[in-house]
Amino acid sequence: MKILVITEAREGKLNPVSFEALVAAQQIAGAQAGSPIAATVIGKGMRQLAEELAANQVAEVLLVEHDLLERYTPDGYAIALRQAIAQSKPDLVLMPHTYQVRDFAPKLAASLGKGMIGDCVGYRVEKERMIFVRQMFQGKTAADVSFTGAPPWFVSFQAGAFRGDQAARGAAPAPITTVKVDLKAEQIRTKPLELFREAKQAVDLTQAPILVAVGRGIKAPENIPMAEKLAKLLGGELAASRPICDEGWLPMDRQIGSSGQTVAPKLYLALGISGAIQHVVGMKGSRTIVAINKDRNAPIFEVADYGIVGDIFELIPALTEVLEKK
Amino acid sequence: MSPERERLDADVLIVGAGPAGLACALHLARLIRQHNESGGKPELSAEGIYVLEKGREIGAHQLSGAVLDPRALAELVPDFAKTAPLDTPVTDDAAYFLTAKRSWKLPITPPPLRNHGNYIVSLNKLVKWLGGLVEQAGVNVFTQFAGAQLIHEGEAIAGVITEDKGRDKDGRPKDNFTPGYELRAKVTVLAEGPRGSLTKTLVAEKHLDGLNPQVYSIGIKELWEVPPGRINPGWVAHTLGWPLDSSMYGGGWIYGLRDNRVSLGLVTGLEYHNPRFDPHEAFQRFKTHPFVRRILEGGKLVRYGAKTVPVGGWYSMPRVYVDGGLIIGDSASLLNSQRLKGIHMAIKSGMLAAETLFEALRVGDTSAKSLSVFRRKLDESWIASELRSVRNFHQSFQHGLWLGLAHTAAQFVTGGRGLIDPMRMPAGYEEYHKLDGAGAAPPRFQGDGVLTFDRLTDVYHSGTRHEEDQPCHLHVLDLNICVNRCVVEYGNPCQYFCPAAVYEMVEDKGGRRLKINFSNCVHCKTCDIADPYQIIDWVPPEGGGGPNYEGM
Amino acid sequence: MKVAVCIKQVPAKDAPLHIAESGSWIRETDIGFEMNEPDSFALEEALRLKEKHGGEVVALSMGPERTKQVIKEGLAKGADRGIHISDDKFFLLDPLGSAKTLAAALQKENFDVILTGLQSDDQGFGQTGVLLAEILGLPHATIIMQIEVQGQQLRLKRELESGWFQWVELPLPAVLTIQSGINKVRYASLKGIMAAKKKEIAVIARESLGVTQEPTQRVERIYVPQKVKKTEFIEGSPKEAAAKLIEKLRHEARVL
Repeated sequence: MKILVITEAREGKLNPVSFEALVAAQQIAGAQAGSPIAATVIGKGMRQLAEELAANQVAEVLLVEHDLLERYTPDGYAIALRQAIAQSKPDLVLMPHTYQVRDFAPKLAASLGKGMIGDCVGYRVEKERMIFVRQMFQGKTAADVSFTGAPPWFVSFQAGAFRGDQAARGAAPAPITTVKVDLKAEQIRTKPLELFREAKQAVDLTQAPILVAVGRGIKAPENIPMAEKLAKLLGGELAASRPICDEGWLPMDRQIGSSGQTVAPKLYLALGISGAIQHVVGMKGSRTIVAINKDRNAPIFEVADYGIVGDIFELIPALTEVLEKK
Repeated sequence: MSPERERLDADVLIVGAGPAGLACALHLARLIRQHNESGGKPELSAEGIYVLEKGREIGAHQLSGAVLDPRALAELVPDFAKTAPLDTPVTDDAAYFLTAKRSWKLPITPPPLRNHGNYIVSLNKLVKWLGGLVEQAGVNVFTQFAGAQLIHEGEAIAGVITEDKGRDKDGRPKDNFTPGYELRAKVTVLAEGPRGSLTKTLVAEKHLDGLNPQVYSIGIKELWEVPPGRINPGWVAHTLGWPLDSSMYGGGWIYGLRDNRVSLGLVTGLEYHNPRFDPHEAFQRFKTHPFVRRILEGGKLVRYGAKTVPVGGWYSMPRVYVDGGLIIGDSASLLNSQRLKGIHMAIKSGMLAAETLFEALRVGDTSAKSLSVFRRKLDESWIASELRSVRNFHQSFQHGLWLGLAHTAAQFVTGGRGLIDPMRMPAGYEEYHKLDGAGAAPPRFQGDGVLTFDRLTDVYHSGTRHEEDQPCHLHVLDLNICVNRCVVEYGNPCQYFCPAAVYEMVEDKGGRRLKINFSNCVHCKTCDIADPYQIIDWVPPEGGGGPNYEGM
Repeated sequence: MKVAVCIKQVPAKDAPLHIAESGSWIRETDIGFEMNEPDSFALEEALRLKEKHGGEVVALSMGPERTKQVIKEGLAKGADRGIHISDDKFFLLDPLGSAKTLAAALQKENFDVILTGLQSDDQGFGQTGVLLAEILGLPHATIIMQIEVQGQQLRLKRELESGWFQWVELPLPAVLTIQSGINKVRYASLKGIMAAKKKEIAVIARESLGVTQEPTQRVERIYVPQKVKKTEFIEGSPKEAAAKLIEKLRHEARVL
């Protein structure tokens, strides 16, 4: 099967999650002999990024460039990528599930009369059929979804579903092919203006790949900064169980559970959380759960992959020290 | 500070869409339709009937065992056997006496526990169905709205003010703040169920109390799905004895439903002596009895709930009519505590109220005198004859099980009179024995997570939700009593009697304070009833909050 | 301004989920249903647009008879009329099939703006809005935080990852997917609930829309992911345990 990976650039660099999609492609290709991988770079002035991409183990890099692609627009990307697909004729089109992909990928697929299975957490091959796994009911269930009908098939993978740093390097740089993009200004209906940053009022924990959550075991608000520091070191966000937010020690938008947010990050570290069902339903979809609690019988251990029975006031500094050393 | 309220005017306002409120609405709508169709004047409209329901949808807060005596339903909806969502007719009923390890089936099922001709029902489903009929009849049912305050015009009740919506936890208006509506009505019917908040206020303000204070029991229920063959649909069992001791009033139930479902629970009178008694824990332990365990083993908990039941009976009935107001159903103490059945009386009282209201609207007289006809109708109906025959039942047990059985035997042969008539009884909260230096409290029940559960897990299975950012609806009038007096005298029983783990005494800077997790509240009213100092006032939270008793 | 809001009815958040016999959906008996929460923000946004610019709001939903409940809720909050695409098997449609059906109904009128929520809390495909735009040939924008109407143009604030935002401009008519939590959703008023009874809900049978779209994908089965591995307890002093844990997270679980 031929695979096309659509990469994404951010601020002049390849968005790291694009490599996760590439790893997915390499794994799928590895299992199916004769599966060449092509990868696209789209925008304007992207040659350098194309070369960077070509250093990986791919058969070909497609450079999809046009003046009108300098800023992202759904119209521009959909039209240009359709042309890239017509040229490359892939069976499977893989993308990382970013805000941008959510904005154009269903449109791209539909414009070819095809469907997209988005936000997948994994895949399986069963009797030469590909089955994509995604979550439903906010992570309470998983679903096996397969394509019916002819390719191309469009799939996006959830951030963290694959490890971007495992992308195999190529023996030699892959050839870079230019896709002649036929695009006119009147075809683009969106006028994108400047990007800007803003202090967000509410944090969206559902987008964080790693969460460090504190429960009653944290005992006092003065102890929260050390957990926050640990979260930052891990590259994640701080979260909390209900009682912490009830007390006002953290704002309500940090709450995980049936009356807060439901999350499924790749790593959830539960510190001093007992594991009442109201909390667990909000996080048990997490891929790896680590629990630290003084009480060996705390229900949180029932959903944990790794557990440490111990004092969080000793373990948080210990973990921080290990991470700071690296 | 009082916000501008929008005003609406109804003919009849019914607070509560339970069996009593809905029966009242349905019957009144019918009487109005028949009246209009036969050219009656003045022409009336079913659209002038408003029903308020604080739950998310009709039926959301309805919970009962339940074994229904269909006599009232047959009057309200004659073809009920075909159209009502009855689960299964009772096929077999038995009474058991339990000790910690054993069970004895009583050779004869005592008459009040005999249920031939009755149906096992889900009150939630029954009420949903009734609600559908009421809406079809053109009545305005407003879900997610509570009656927060009564409106007075002189001596009369002139309607209710619904709750403010969109206040934050400090009471400040949020962006979507919507003040409660001033809902005026010619007659307001209080059908709030056990320990209704408006009923409590009205009875106190106008001194409507009956001879005995109202007394209540708490019912804790779980709905289970069990492996096929464990239980027959229609099997009804009631138990006495363990885990309650002989000084306590109460018992368990297990009903076999269709589709391998089981309804089971434990009812405990809220007049026990030990302030640390935990009714939820007692129910969990009940399930571990071999008799119960063998039914549930391998099964799955579907839903949990708890609600109080008014068991004071005849002599606890308040005056049920005032200028511009009526009280019906559980709020009016219309429940047979011997059979522990109140749904049939709720429905019948709703119908009798409807007849009264129809006349009052027709002639344009909604004074207490005109509405007193309701009391007369109750007295002349089978409600009165049934209630009178058990008028001293619950009161008989205030000195223990064995004395209670002796009294009730005497009452059985004397049509309810018994050895003492009327038997007086204090309110349940006066029955606590002070701790008087009793030792430390025993550790709280955890449950094994398979057969038995802790309260938080159970609350999760009640589907209870509330808007988090709103003022706490549990008003404790003097928190100093909690931390200074109650902790010493009774050990803060709110931590024990609440089946939803709402109340907790937590450490706070060297001392203790009361933490109220109001969002767990299942609206059972136990705290309002059982608090020894009577300083807890339960008021309705923002409408739509509370449990979701689907299938209960 | 003529605004359409696509609202989905989904199982209540607290409903205990049991997998149906077929294995590819959940059992729908004995559970409650409610309006998809992300759609309630879209509805609120639609009502605010009407309050600011006049016009009408149409609440549209697809599904079996019970779906009328969410349309009524929309009407009670202020939508002017409803459209119910009636279909018992709605949940079997794939995102493209369901979007084409919605589009066929929407096409019959000239809406200026079509709003949807970000995704549904049950299936969560998150594609409906974007697909509608493609099928109807309209411009679109997703994850919208703010809408400004400037004549025949919209000025929209889009949310991006990591605290970034962007303003974009689009011509009307357009399709927008609305970010959750951007507004405080209003309560239905008593008057609104009563008025809703008199508002029209047009019922369209799905088959009558004549949409023939072969499904592009199939849900083969739904299941509760079982945790097959047991909890691995890490022993040792805090320093040792911490080091071991990081090691395992890096090389065994591969999440760091």
